Amino acid sequence: MFPPILLEILVLVTGFVLLLAESFSTSTSKRSLASIGIFSLGWVFALSFFVSSAPAAVDAGSYWNFYSADSVSLLFKRIALLTTMGVLVMALDYESVLAKNIPSSRPGAGTGEFFILPLFTCAGLMLLASAVDLVLAFAALELVTISFYVMVAYMRRSHASLEAGVKYLILGALSTGFFVFGITWIFGITGETHFAKIALKMASVQHSDVAILFALVLVLVGLGFKVAAVPFQNWVPDVYQGAPTPVTAFLSVGSKAAGFLLLLRVLEPFLGVSSLAPKILLVLAFLAGATLVFGNLAALPQNNLKRLLSYSSIGHAGYLLMAVACVGTARSGFGSVGSTVGFYLFAYLLMTLLGFIIFSLVSTHSKGEEIHHFNGLAKRSPLLAFGLLVSMSSLAGVPLTAGFYGKFLVFAQAVNSGHWVLLSLGVVTVGAGFYFYLRVVAAMYWNEPSESAPIPVSFLTKTVITLLVAGIFFFGINPKPVLAAFQQTAIQSAKAPSH
Amino acid sequence: MSPILFWIFAALMLAFGVSVVVNRDPVASALSLVASFLCLAALFVGLDAFFIGVIQVLVYAGAVMVLFLFIIMLLDLKAEKRRHFNKLALAGGALVTAGFVAGLVRVLSLYPAGNQPFPPLGVAKLDDVRQVGMTLFSNFNLPFQTVGVLVLVASVGVIVLSRRELK
Repeated sequence: MFPPILLEILVLVTGFVLLLAESFSTSTSKRSLASIGIFSLGWVFALSFFVSSAPAAVDAGSYWNFYSADSVSLLFKRIALLTTMGVLVMALDYESVLAKNIPSSRPGAGTGEFFILPLFTCAGLMLLASAVDLVLAFAALELVTISFYVMVAYMRRSHASLEAGVKYLILGALSTGFFVFGITWIFGITGETHFAKIALKMASVQHSDVAILFALVLVLVGLGFKVAAVPFQNWVPDVYQGAPTPVTAFLSVGSKAAGFLLLLRVLEPFLGVSSLAPKILLVLAFLAGATLVFGNLAALPQNNLKRLLSYSSIGHAGYLLMAVACVGTARSGFGSVGSTVGFYLFAYLLMTLLGFIIFSLVSTHSKGEEIHHFNGLAKRSPLLAFGLLVSMSSLAGVPLTAGFYGKFLVFAQAVNSGHWVLLSLGVVTVGAGFYFYLRVVAAMYWNEPSESAPIPVSFLTKTVITLLVAGIFFFGINPKPVLAAFQQTAIQSAKAPSH
Repeated sequence: MSPILFWIFAALMLAFGVSVVVNRDPVASALSLVASFLCLAALFVGLDAFFIGVIQVLVYAGAVMVLFLFIIMLLDLKAEKRRHFNKLALAGGALVTAGFVAGLVRVLSLYPAGNQPFPPLGVAKLDDVRQVGMTLFSNFNLPFQTVGVLVLVASVGVIVLSRRELK
C-alpha cells in the first residue's frame, strides 16, 4: 500500500520533467509530451487503486492536518485523472488548430505548454479533492484556476480566445475575492480553518447566526462563479465558446467538480446547526431553481453547438445544486446527497468529455461550430455520429445511460425531501433539454451531408470514444461501483463519529 | 493602535482604492495603489504585525508596484484616457456596491462580537520573522508547497502568453 499523497507527487513530478524536457529538447514535434502525459496519468490512475485510504485524523501530525484520503477524495482524484487524460487526447487532435492560432517561429513551436499545463491543473484538482482545511482548499483551487487562465487565453491570435481569457481572469479574480472574504469571516467567527474543527466549534460554542450566514453567502457567491450557478453565470457562454475546445471540456468538467466538492465540504460543518440549515437550504434551492430554468431555456435557441454545450453546462449545475439543496433535510443525510452529487459528476464527466471530443473532431474538420455542420454525420462517420448520439441522449437523460441514472438519483433526493417546486422545475427543464439535445441528433441522422468525405479519426481517439460510450452504458445499467465509494465513507464516518 | 489613527488610515486606504478605479490615467492609478498599500501597511503595524507591515511596503508597494509603474511608463499607455464612463454600468456597479456595503453594515450591527473591543493581545516580542517562518515551514508546509507550484504555473503562463514569437 502506498501513501495517497504519492499520487499528487507523481503527477507533479511528471509535469516538472515534461517542462524541463520541453525546454531542452530539440525535437520540433511536441506531441510526444502529451503521449507521455497520458501514459503517466494512466499509471497514476492504476496506482490509485493501491493506496491506503484513510480519513485524516483531526490532530494527526501537523503536516497531514490539511489532507484526507477517504474514499470520496480518492473517487474525485480518479475523476480528475480520467478527465485530464481525456483532455490530453483531445489536445492531440486539436494541435493543428492550436498551431494556427499562436505566433510561432516554426511549425509546432509553442504548443508544448498546452500539453503540460493540464497536468498541473490535475494535481490541483487532486489536492482539492483531499483538502479538509480551507487554507489548502484555497491554495489548490487557485492552482486550478490560474492554470485555466493561461489555457483559456492560449490561442493568442484568436480574438475570441483572448476575450475569453480576459473575461475569465477578471471574473475569476472577483469570485476569488468573495471566496477569501468569506473564509476570513469563517475564521474570524470560529477561529478555525479545519472543517472538522469548525464543526466542533459550531456544535459547542455560542455563535451569531447572522455573521455565519453572511460568511456563507460570500462563500456561495465565490463558488457560484466556479460552478456557473445563476446569477453568476454571465461569463460562461463567452468563455466556453472562446476557449480552445479541450480547455472548454476541462473547464466544464474539472472546474464544476472542484466547485461542487468544495461547496459540500464547506457547507457540511454548518448544516448540522438546526437554526442555520433551513436558511442555507432555502438560498441553495433558489439558486438551483434559477440555474435550472436559465440554463435549459437559454440553450433552446442556440445554433452554435459549443455555445449550446456551455448553456447545457449551466443547466447541469442546476441539477447538481438541486441535489445539494436536499442536504440535511428529513430523510436525505449527507452521505446520500454526496453520493448523488458524486455519481452525477462522474456521469457528467463521461458524457461531456465524449461530446466535446466528437465536437472538436467534427468542427476542426468541417471548419464550423454550428449545428448544421453536423448534418448527415451518420453517413460520413457512423462511429462519431453514434458517439455523439450516446453523449446527447445521456445529457438529455434517456434511460439506460449514466445521465439518466444521475438525474434519477437527483429527483429521488428531491422527492425524499419534499422539494416539489424544484422537482417540477426539474421535470419541465428536462423536457426542454430533450428538444435541444436531440436537435443535434436529428441533424446528424435525418439531414443530408454537405460533403461526403469521412472524418479521419486516430486509433487513440477511437479507443477513447469507444471506452466512453461503453462507460455511459455500463454505469447507466450498473451504477454500484461508483456509489459504493460513498457508502464506504458513510460507514467509516458512522464508526468514527469524531470525524 | 489608537482608534483615530485606524480611522484615518482606513479612510485613506479606501479613498486611494477608489482612486485606482476612477482614474483613467494608468500612472495615476498605479500610484494610488501604492498609496493604498502604504496605508494598509500602517494598519498592519497598528495591529502589531510588524513583519507583515514591512513586507507590505517592501514587496508590494516597493518591488511589485514600482516595477509595474516602470512597465506602464515604458509601454506609454494612453488609450484609456480618451474613454468615457458608461453611465449604465456605473449605476449598476454603484447599486451593487451600495447593497453590499449596506448588508455589511447591517451584519456588523447585528453581530454582538463585532461591537465589542477585542481583548488586547500579548505584547509582541518582535520575533515575527521567526514566527512566520516556523508556521509557514512546519504547520502550513503543504499549502505553502502548493502555492509554490501555483507560482511556477503562473510564471510559465506569463512567458507563454507574452513572448512575441514562441520557439
